[in-house]
Amino acid sequence: MCAAALTIPSHLDADLAAIRRPHDPQVPPSYWDVLEPVLPKVSQPAQYVGGEHNMSVTPWADARTRWLLCYPDTYAIGQPNQGIQILYELLNERATSLAERAYAPWFDLEEEMRARGIPTFSLEHHYPLWAFDVFGVTLPHELGHTNLLNLLDLGGVPIRTADRTLDHPIVLAGGHAAFNPEPLAPFLDAVVMGDGEEAVLEIDDVLATAKADRAAGRLTSRVQLLERLSGVTGVYVPSFYEPRYAPDGRLRATVATHPGTPPRVPKRTVQDLEDFPYPQKQIVPMTETVHERFSVEIFRGCTRGCRFCQAGMITRPVRERRPETIQKLVTEGVEDTGFEEVGLLSLSSADHADIGDIARNLADTYEGTTTSLSLPSTRVDAFNVTLSNELARNGRRTGLTFAPEAGSERMRAVINKMVSEEDMLRTAEIAFANGWRHVKMYFMVGLPTERDEDVEAIAHLGIKVYEIAQKHGRGNKATVSVGGFVPKPHTPFQWAAQDTPEEIQRKLDLVLEIIKPYKGLRLRTNDPQEGVIEGLLARGDRRVAPVVERAWRLGATFDGWHESDTLPHWHRAIADSGLSLDDLSHHERDEHEAFPWDHLDAGLDKQWLWDDWVDAIAEKPLDDCRWIPCYDCGVCPGLDIAHDTGYTNPETRGPTLPIFAGGPATGPLGGSPDLPTSAARLDGGA
Amino acid sequence: MRLRIRYTKLGRVRFISARDLSSVWERAIRRAKVPIAYSQGFTPHPKVSFPDALPVGYASTGEYAELTLASEIDPGLGLARLSAALPTGMDITTYLVVADGSPRLAKYLQATLWETAWPATTPDEAVDLADELRRRGDALLAAEAVEVVRHRPKGDKVLDVRPPLAAVAAAPAPADPGTPPNTTFATFRAVLRNDGPTIRPADLVVALDSLGDMPLPEPRLYTRVAQGRIVDDGILEAFTQQVQALDAGRQVEAA
Repeated sequence: MCAAALTIPSHLDADLAAIRRPHDPQVPPSYWDVLEPVLPKVSQPAQYVGGEHNMSVTPWADARTRWLLCYPDTYAIGQPNQGIQILYELLNERATSLAERAYAPWFDLEEEMRARGIPTFSLEHHYPLWAFDVFGVTLPHELGHTNLLNLLDLGGVPIRTADRTLDHPIVLAGGHAAFNPEPLAPFLDAVVMGDGEEAVLEIDDVLATAKADRAAGRLTSRVQLLERLSGVTGVYVPSFYEPRYAPDGRLRATVATHPGTPPRVPKRTVQDLEDFPYPQKQIVPMTETVHERFSVEIFRGCTRGCRFCQAGMITRPVRERRPETIQKLVTEGVEDTGFEEVGLLSLSSADHADIGDIARNLADTYEGTTTSLSLPSTRVDAFNVTLSNELARNGRRTGLTFAPEAGSERMRAVINKMVSEEDMLRTAEIAFANGWRHVKMYFMVGLPTERDEDVEAIAHLGIKVYEIAQKHGRGNKATVSVGGFVPKPHTPFQWAAQDTPEEIQRKLDLVLEIIKPYKGLRLRTNDPQEGVIEGLLARGDRRVAPVVERAWRLGATFDGWHESDTLPHWHRAIADSGLSLDDLSHHERDEHEAFPWDHLDAGLDKQWLWDDWVDAIAEKPLDDCRWIPCYDCGVCPGLDIAHDTGYTNPETRGPTLPIFAGGPATGPLGGSPDLPTSAARLDGGA
Repeated sequence: MRLRIRYTKLGRVRFISARDLSSVWERAIRRAKVPIAYSQGFTPHPKVSFPDALPVGYASTGEYAELTLASEIDPGLGLARLSAALPTGMDITTYLVVADGSPRLAKYLQATLWETAWPATTPDEAVDLADELRRRGDALLAAEAVEVVRHRPKGDKVLDVRPPLAAVAAAPAPADPGTPPNTTFATFRAVLRNDGPTIRPADLVVALDSLGDMPLPEPRLYTRVAQGRIVDDGILEAFTQQVQALDAGRQVEAA
């Protein structure tokens, strides 16, 4: 806290009382006393009380800017989110800012809140949403959109940006689903594209100045405030842009209509994760959540190039955290929190250049203790098993998860998940031979160019793995998990048609039919209907916004929860809007068709995405740019990152990546067939 | 080394469920570097146990836990660290070092002194409500059986609250220290034997409600005050051997 406070520029040390917003309540009412009598009546009340270890409590009057950070789902789902925890810690380290947290109340509490006039509240002081300067909401996926509207409404904030004044909080969104915020455009004041660490601090500065200027009469309208926010690189203000449609109703472009607004908004990229070793002081929940562990993001970004994967596309390039920083964060964090589990997070954690050392050092540190290590990985290779053995040195070898994603070799070439069936089976063989008892496999159906034989191949692969499992022990298990593919913006598959839920169901039935005789082989599927809303919101444009509002007004919240059957509301809202799911989701898009997110720049060159889409249909795979020459996806130029895929210190960076910065190389390009593959390289290091 | 601990559960931590209590303690124990022992077997568990569950939302100044340690520590220092590491509202108040083979903790927790508190807007109102509660409490004690229906998600259950009931008292009094200042309360205290079917103070409130013409207002707080052995005027607390008086008003006078 002290070290960070010293880095605050001196102009922020001004007299707080003098610059307080005139309409600022000195201290807003805390709703704790009204909430508390209700809590014994609701399920899991501990999720609403706060008070956790590492909760940050700043007196209201001590702060000049006040943020309410929100994950628009239950506490159990939202609390472990790393993004919110990073920003919470960064903002609270600032002497002049405070950040509190809010999550969506479950149905039983919402009913009581509406009956008693309790607004959306923070966990720290139970202050109302309406009293904060910013409502910062992460949109990790599309199924929190109606919850966002509900939280605003419950929090005393008009749901539409047009109805808000300077006295209302700025509604600021971020997260992966914010890369197409158009279905929420009328409801969001501003959107941060990409990494939030730097952008949020810049926004905080803008707000502090704006509040001072407002007090001095130099800022008199909300539009002026939005103009200043849109001046922060990576901040998109939807109300400053308008969609243009062709006479046939197709979107032609979304154009900047407000003076001084950039035509395209670039995403923010933190170039060196070492600058932001957060979250350190992780919240220790007092009630059950989905991930109760100390988590460290070991790298950000992924260049494996899986064509369906939005996260892998929009978070490029790869930026690794140093092994010694990871070791330090983990050891200090475990001691501080008392967590008994450590998670090494990233999009494909086994791909860290030094993962062998990282795993070995941590396994050494916690050998003989009850602290366990886990590493989510999508890789299907022997190295992944070696690594998992190392991490499980202390404990049990229970389940390993692999993500072949598609059943047939052909289909995997289309989606660019380069793993052969031979690899998969050998990996399963090694896993069970090493004492692992359960292998889970993740697959998708509804992929572009998919034929029934590709779908059936999922079942056949599952059966082969199950037979290997049984060979090594009658109690061993295998699980096949199949989801319906939903095309996402900023990916090569953004042009793809989404299968109808009926078609997805038919394909799931094909898999089920084949594996039915194998009793120990389990099949897990989701309701294909769930993909309908996700698909609509993922690629929808501003015409979808009234649908979101209508669905919410009809009663839709907690989309995606089994407890909440919102589909009838959505179908009615879509029907009322005159839009058609066939047009919006289930048709393949043309090469030159405008997307609602064309003015939002994730760094990826649209032509490259199209070329990769064409390659996909031609079943042409593309290797990871960490091991082959740059193929100009568009992300790196402009970043001071030198096409770098290792951590940025040249002394510790490996010599195996002879790839050069700055677009087309003038000298000879690096990369050759002799370069080790990731697995070989990592095997050598482990 | 085995330690028996008495601790409080006041304020926000009242809403931690019995199910979540173990992990809250286990993490605090690791933060406080108390060398807890682990069970043997496929999934080793830290040896922390709680003799009985407190309903979610109930306050307590008489919770107990038992810890088995892997090595000897200075219990005063170690438990001070643990108390500081536990969430606000959970404070260790007393402890006992016990020898292996000593009787189970539950053996000493034969009865419980419960308090139910109703908020009142004025001191006079608190006095009136306390008088009413005293009348109904005496009627409850005089009855042979008083059946109440407990509503549960699994279905309703009919319970006779009378058998475990040993003594009752009512008074206008400030309630537990975790409640807001300047609040006047009427409190109803009852001593319930811990053997036999579990009767909670909420069940007693349903019974009291049925014993008069006017419906009772909704209580604000249930508190487990102390556990131990029944004596004439209250509970002999299991660790300290001090009497926790049934009559809250009289205790205030003594203090």
